[in-house]
Amino acid sequence: MSRKDKFIDGCKKGIPITFGYVPMGIGYAAIAIKAGMTPLETISMSFLVYAGAGQIIAASMVLSGATAMAIILTNFVVNLRYFVMSTCVLNQVEESNTPLNILAAHVTVDESFAMFSLSEDSSIWIYLGIAITAWLSWCLGAWIGVVILDILPVIVANSFNISLYALFVAILVPAIKESRQIALLVLVTAVLNIVLGQFLGNWSLIVSTLLGAGIGMYIVDDEYILGGDG
Amino acid sequence: MDYMAVVIIGCALVTFIPRVIPALFIDKLDFSPKVDKFLNLIPYTALAALICPGVLTVDNQLWYIGLIGAIVAAGLAWKKVPLGAIVILTVVILIGVYSIVPFF
Repeated sequence: MSRKDKFIDGCKKGIPITFGYVPMGIGYAAIAIKAGMTPLETISMSFLVYAGAGQIIAASMVLSGATAMAIILTNFVVNLRYFVMSTCVLNQVEESNTPLNILAAHVTVDESFAMFSLSEDSSIWIYLGIAITAWLSWCLGAWIGVVILDILPVIVANSFNISLYALFVAILVPAIKESRQIALLVLVTAVLNIVLGQFLGNWSLIVSTLLGAGIGMYIVDDEYILGGDG
Repeated sequence: MDYMAVVIIGCALVTFIPRVIPALFIDKLDFSPKVDKFLNLIPYTALAALICPGVLTVDNQLWYIGLIGAIVAAGLAWKKVPLGAIVILTVVILIGVYSIVPFF
């Protein structure tokens, strides 16, 4: 496959993410507008910050009148997991160079990382296809949100909230089906995150992800792990 | 600079910097098989931590809404339904669930 074909293939792989991102982007825009942000500010935040939960938290904090410093610090903590995800993605990609890596790093989010990590092909072009499709759909969602302004009925909005989780579950299930060791690791990490969440708050996600992978070193055999050169 | 500009640029920087550090150094690093294994396990543990307990907060009042959604998505994935169809079907089924909640 040529680079272009791989990129287009990646874009197609990214389409399921857009089903979750457009509605979630609209939801973010609804909060941002309510917080008094202008349409330009709302959309540029999606383009420049590009962090689902981080942006929604930031907009909520603007709404509650938090200081800029508090918002920035909270975003740093909430988005620090992208350091880990970016490391994983860039360790896996092939056919890349530094400028492409920098672009890939900016468009690394939970969904693009998950979709790519558990896919068979490791070309940078596949990754950029997936991740740029997701990025643009997130911005498109914010744009639709500021245009329609009317907040969707709560029931419909809540039903859309499930879409990203449905995606996460759908990506994870084939691996669980394949290996009991992975299933056990997933269970252990989930419990760990619930328990640590009581004490660590926003830090819990990244701490339990890393602790879980550390535990996985001992409970998962090499043959069950996808990705990398493995 | 005004408040919103500081917030947006500040958030953009603190989000971009951790993301881009690996992009600048990854070529110079050659991870040992152990570190590679650790990095390759992270997708599984990150997904586990993202789903749980976050999925229970899909609806702030009714925790079981998210649980039902997760079970539906898992069932569909188990049956090898395509990813996009899983997302759409799960949303549609949840709207259906909401329409019967008032009767209980």
